[in-house]
Amino acid sequence: MIYSFLRRGVFTLLILLAAGSVCAAGEPTELIRKATDGVIAILNDPSLKGPDKTEEKVRKIREAVDKRFAWEEISKRTLARYWKERTPAERAEFIKLFGKLLERTYLDKVKEGYSGEKVLYVDEKVEGRYGRVRVMIVTKQNTEIPVEYRMLKKGDNWLIYDISIEGVSLVNNYRKQFSHILSRSSYSELLERLRAKVEGTETID
Amino acid sequence: MCGWLRGITLPAIVMSLLWISSFAAEAAAQTEGLEAGRPVSGLHTGAHGVLLLTDAKGQAVQEEGEEDALGPDPWADETESFDTIPDPLEPMNRAFFEFNDKMYFYVLKPLGTGYKMVVPEVGRICIRNFFTNLIMPIRAISCLLQGKFEGFGIELVRCMVNTTAGFLGFQDVAREALRFQIQDEDLGQVFAFYGMGPGCYLNLPFLGPSSLRDTAGWVGGLYLNPLDYMVDDFWPNVGFRTFDTLNKVSMRIGEYESIKKAALDPYVAMRDAYGQYRLNQTEK
Repeated sequence: MIYSFLRRGVFTLLILLAAGSVCAAGEPTELIRKATDGVIAILNDPSLKGPDKTEEKVRKIREAVDKRFAWEEISKRTLARYWKERTPAERAEFIKLFGKLLERTYLDKVKEGYSGEKVLYVDEKVEGRYGRVRVMIVTKQNTEIPVEYRMLKKGDNWLIYDISIEGVSLVNNYRKQFSHILSRSSYSELLERLRAKVEGTETID
Repeated sequence: MCGWLRGITLPAIVMSLLWISSFAAEAAAQTEGLEAGRPVSGLHTGAHGVLLLTDAKGQAVQEEGEEDALGPDPWADETESFDTIPDPLEPMNRAFFEFNDKMYFYVLKPLGTGYKMVVPEVGRICIRNFFTNLIMPIRAISCLLQGKFEGFGIELVRCMVNTTAGFLGFQDVAREALRFQIQDEDLGQVFAFYGMGPGCYLNLPFLGPSSLRDTAGWVGGLYLNPLDYMVDDFWPNVGFRTFDTLNKVSMRIGEYESIKKAALDPYVAMRDAYGQYRLNQTEK
């Protein structure tokens, strides 16, 4: 019971990194599939092995992953009703900071490398401009983790605006944290905490 | 036959439930105004001081969000606009959260890391399988009580196969050869099946995130856990439980750190994750 649901955190990161892609449009599942294969290929690339190549590997993955995400949509949804109160400049700053936090979190995971997880594609559903792709991650220890990508069609491109792992939505989770902080203190306090996280100045233990 | 854990937990839980029920109703009323647009559901003390757990879903209130040209989000969770799980006992829970955090970094993590270096992964997976197989009755009975007869059957077959062909459960041959998956059911989910809401969030020392309902389920599980019948003496029982925990921790070192690193408020992140996770489980 104690740590039974902690592993989710790790897979949040794994999935985030698995979502990169260089291809443009297509059906949501195909997109996720190509993206996942692409990132795994980068991780397995023998020419990128070794500690001195970490920088390059991280850069490649960041390149591939960044354009797969609807960063503004994610920020808007996590700030929820507080989004309306922000000026365009503040919004832009928030998108940048929050994006960096998510990025830093998954890139930390990249540095540890790929450990043989398999991805099985379960199903896909499209309703208007919304799409949902469900996959199952099978770890080396044979644990199965259901993951759901929620996507939005922008132009002719599908972008991820939320990832739900074992029923835990990333956006919802951050929204709860943000609203908890915002309802007890101020927006500047929230920014302050975001910055501290991004800079990684705090110690965790 | 009286397992020590049952011996001490039952009176303790009953006492604390009575205490919490009087306190939480009051606290819930106070918290209600704190976060605008966040209805606090959860505990009501009934006419005879009996605890009634209301279903949080029944009280969902839609936030008047801006629905732009996109139209409503079909994948949005029902729980979008309010807390997944009410937390009137936050000060107490935060204290225990801190305690567990220190426990992890100063005790469990160093021990788990050492253990990981000594025991190879294959061995640790076998040990995990053994303990998982051992508590089959909890999963089987939970399936049965929810009318999931197929799951009940699968658990029985799994246990028979794994205990024999799987060398006392050290090998999960039922999954590998027969594709019989573990049925992830527990008594907390049984209570949810019969309409009980989570009550309120609890972060318990040693046990971590839980809810009133799931804690009750956990206590019930103590009566279905063969370990407590087979190893009845205090120290051996504690020993087995510690071993099981340590073994599990050794496979998850680094995960808690990741969560903490990514969260702005790790306590709230954990609470919400637990709420969402259990909601998803009980809806299945």
